[in-house]
Amino acid sequence: MSATKTFLLELHCEEIPARFLGSLAQDFQSAFQNWCHQHHVGYLQEGEVQPEPECFYSPRKLAWRYRGLMAIQSDQTETQVGPPQRMCVDESGKPTIQGEKFAEKWGVPFSAVRFEQPAGKKEPCAVVTVTKAGRPTVELLQEALPGLIKGLHVPKAMRWGHSEFEFVRPIRNILCLFGEQVVPITVDGVTATNTTWGHRLHHRQHPEAVKVATPEAYEAALETAGVVVSVDVRRARIAQQLDHLAAEAGGRVVADAELLDTLAEIVEFPKIVRGDFPAAFLELPKEVLVTSLREHQKSFCIEKPDGTDLLPFFLTAANRMDDPAGFVKAGNEWVLKARLYDARFFFAEDRKLPLAGRTEKLKALTFQRELGSYFDKTERVAQLVETLAGRLSQDAAHRARAVQAARLAKCDLRTLMVGEFPELQGIMGGEYLKREGAHEEVWKAVKEHYQPAGADDAIPGTPMGCLLSLCDKLDTVAGCFSVGLIPSGSKDPLALRRAGQGIVRILWERGWALTPADLAAAALGAVGAKATKPAAETTEALLAFFKDRVGYQLELAGYAGSVRRSALAAGWADLADLRARCEALSAFAEDARFASLAQSAKRIGNILKDETADGGFDEGLLAQAEEKVLAQQLAKVEAVADQKALLAALADLAAPLEAFFNAVMVKCEDAALRAARLSLLHRLRQAFLRVADFSLWQ
Amino acid sequence: MHIQELILRLQRFWADRGCLVGQPYDLEKGAGTMNPLTFFGALGAKPWNVAYVEPSRRPADGRYGENPFRVYKHLQFQVILKPSPAKVQDMYIESLEALGIDLSKHDLRFEEDNWESPSLGAWGVGWQVVLDGMEISQFTYFQQVGGLDCRPVSAELTYGIERICMFLGGYDNMFDLVYGEVKTDDGIFPVTYGQMRQREEFELSAYSFDHADLDLHRTLFEAFEKEGWRLLKDHGHFLSAYEQALKMSHTFNVLDARGAVSTTERPGIIKRVRDMACACAKAYLEHEEGSSTACADGTDSKSKLQGGAK
Repeated sequence: MSATKTFLLELHCEEIPARFLGSLAQDFQSAFQNWCHQHHVGYLQEGEVQPEPECFYSPRKLAWRYRGLMAIQSDQTETQVGPPQRMCVDESGKPTIQGEKFAEKWGVPFSAVRFEQPAGKKEPCAVVTVTKAGRPTVELLQEALPGLIKGLHVPKAMRWGHSEFEFVRPIRNILCLFGEQVVPITVDGVTATNTTWGHRLHHRQHPEAVKVATPEAYEAALETAGVVVSVDVRRARIAQQLDHLAAEAGGRVVADAELLDTLAEIVEFPKIVRGDFPAAFLELPKEVLVTSLREHQKSFCIEKPDGTDLLPFFLTAANRMDDPAGFVKAGNEWVLKARLYDARFFFAEDRKLPLAGRTEKLKALTFQRELGSYFDKTERVAQLVETLAGRLSQDAAHRARAVQAARLAKCDLRTLMVGEFPELQGIMGGEYLKREGAHEEVWKAVKEHYQPAGADDAIPGTPMGCLLSLCDKLDTVAGCFSVGLIPSGSKDPLALRRAGQGIVRILWERGWALTPADLAAAALGAVGAKATKPAAETTEALLAFFKDRVGYQLELAGYAGSVRRSALAAGWADLADLRARCEALSAFAEDARFASLAQSAKRIGNILKDETADGGFDEGLLAQAEEKVLAQQLAKVEAVADQKALLAALADLAAPLEAFFNAVMVKCEDAALRAARLSLLHRLRQAFLRVADFSLWQ
Repeated sequence: MHIQELILRLQRFWADRGCLVGQPYDLEKGAGTMNPLTFFGALGAKPWNVAYVEPSRRPADGRYGENPFRVYKHLQFQVILKPSPAKVQDMYIESLEALGIDLSKHDLRFEEDNWESPSLGAWGVGWQVVLDGMEISQFTYFQQVGGLDCRPVSAELTYGIERICMFLGGYDNMFDLVYGEVKTDDGIFPVTYGQMRQREEFELSAYSFDHADLDLHRTLFEAFEKEGWRLLKDHGHFLSAYEQALKMSHTFNVLDARGAVSTTERPGIIKRVRDMACACAKAYLEHEEGSSTACADGTDSKSKLQGGAK
């Protein structure tokens, strides 16, 4: 039993890129915990609850704190194997010289030596159990920490000065304490002490280093030196200030969780500053302002409380406590004005030429080497839209507008604004078309056609937007597959799975009667001679791909595993039908009769595996009561059209089926009877498969 | 502060901290990094501190002198410190104070920004330095130059001169900045940046967007390339060959601004510039090894050379 202490390590570096902070903190944490485990450096006394390890980070700091670490490593017992027994004792049973030497080597009397046959040895050998006293944890830490630090995985490592040491950014100070004691490790020439540095501004006013007397005093010591070292605390303080300042300005913050995280990661002391920009810039589309402020200035926009328009204010984070001379506000306003001036220049320049005037320029923009330019892609998508719109709409004018939207969809790739902000693709096209007086359906379809951008993003709000989005993604997926660019394992550089998921989601949510097989055929037709792989091979790969996407869609929709597997196996060509079956199955998921049905379905599958049963079925041949009952029930099931009623009828089959299998021998001697029974089972299976493959229920 | 004063203060500051004050290189280039004082200076083991102004041409950034913030040609103040000093960030901050920036009242951040020049085969990691929301400098630890590992590593600091001047003076238009004052027997005449440069901006923008002869530039690109390889292969001359690489780079930039380079062509053309720059870097290091000049610390440069082609 030994006392416990708290361990603290801080690496003070030049500014570490925000995107690496979290993963570096985690990386060390798992490496350290592994090391503790391997080296029997325990936590606390037995039975006590282990406190959570803590990690801290800020632009210049990575730190970890572990409470309740034993001051002395646990004793370790090890078994040592020596020479064979015959060499250690003579015939009279006395120890030989060799035997005594073995005992001496491990510091035990010969009487403590046992003779056992260890695994892998052919005869009994001398064996001793040695207890190694635990060493002081501080010594172990000193030996291990430099290696653990060097072993951290740094995604973009650098060297500096003369050193060959590589890390994320130069390490300039190390604070390392075990209780009050300094663990004097040295990494790349920097030796640990019990001091660190605070905020740059604090440091310039107070040249002395900040002393951290105990690990527990860490956050408080740094806060007085101008650093809030916990990212969670910084994030919470920023969120609170954002809300407060936005409300003060009469609006609310345009939420952006990623930007909030970024701000919390790039400052050591968070101060949110509100600035103004000239109201004239509000003529720019909201998306342009939000994107420009976010990308260029890491700033939040403020919108009216109803979420419509923006107000001419922005909120940004300063890395200091205050803005005593108003320089931070003025500086950010100045820069923002320059940025918005640029955005307005792009917006004005772009509108000098109608969007459609960029169609030809798409020829110089490569979509993919084999598949040609964005001009070629546009042609294919327009063709697809024309084909599919024909199946979805009777309105010729509407169909013509859909094709028009397809022809305009990619034109904004050649605008200055999208050149500056690629994430505004689609949005700008829509905004420019709106201002050109295009039909609302057209500009909205262009604006929305990149949606859904991910699992969290909605599908386009308009039917035409959905059709355009679907055709664009379909062309991308089918086109890439047709030239052999097929995602495999974790490799999906063109994000085809995301595009495929978008297609499936649109079909799913819209309930359109378009099957993936139809879509694949239409898209490959449009790709035509550009394909480098045989069409049959591509179709097969595409269908397998879509089946996976549909399966994942079922998962996203929240259906249970049994529902998903059995429904999917009974067919997925018609997504509306699949959805109805999943809904119906989910309603019955708790019904105990389904477990019995699943058993019977498996038995039917096994029996029919090696048989060729056909529909030819002479009910008159059935002999036993149980099979006659079953046949009657089946006839009822076959007459039901509605999915829910069908499932209820199927559930009613559970008991007769059980009775049937208990009483009837299917593969009987009488060939005609046997054929009749097999046909009965075949028909049963067909009835099941209208809803689900119940053999996959569990 | 006048532009001239800002330059003088930076030169004085860095000269006092042990830098040679260099001169701009008299060829068109996109950034101060392309000056041989940096490109070759960052290679090899010799200690090397140098600071200089570099007029940098970016044809695609031209705005005919109409945009108050963006120009075809801007001034960079470039500092190379090899090896990178342990207190390099503090030195940089002191240089801002030398410009009169009172950091107790401003927000200063170092935000990740990793620099890469595909046409020089060079890259490094570092930051953009952001003062009250404005990027005022680029700060880079060179990892490779000319495709060769930098050993030791140099720190490169690049100040955007016009931007800093505008920021300090609260100017909304770069052309309103005062470059300096001309004093004559007749009086004192302040000269604005606009007077000095706006017409130049207009003509150079017009040239790179409208008037540049594309066929000529394509021919020139090929000719510079041929000339460069001839100098390297027949004579082992890396400095004159490097000049050809710089000319290729600028010629490419003009073609690019005219929209005459397709996205598919682009990587291939950049590679042709890079290949020559890398060959020059390699030839330079071989020459340095051969000449075995003594280092300032008295050791032989040969013994410290570890960089090799990757």
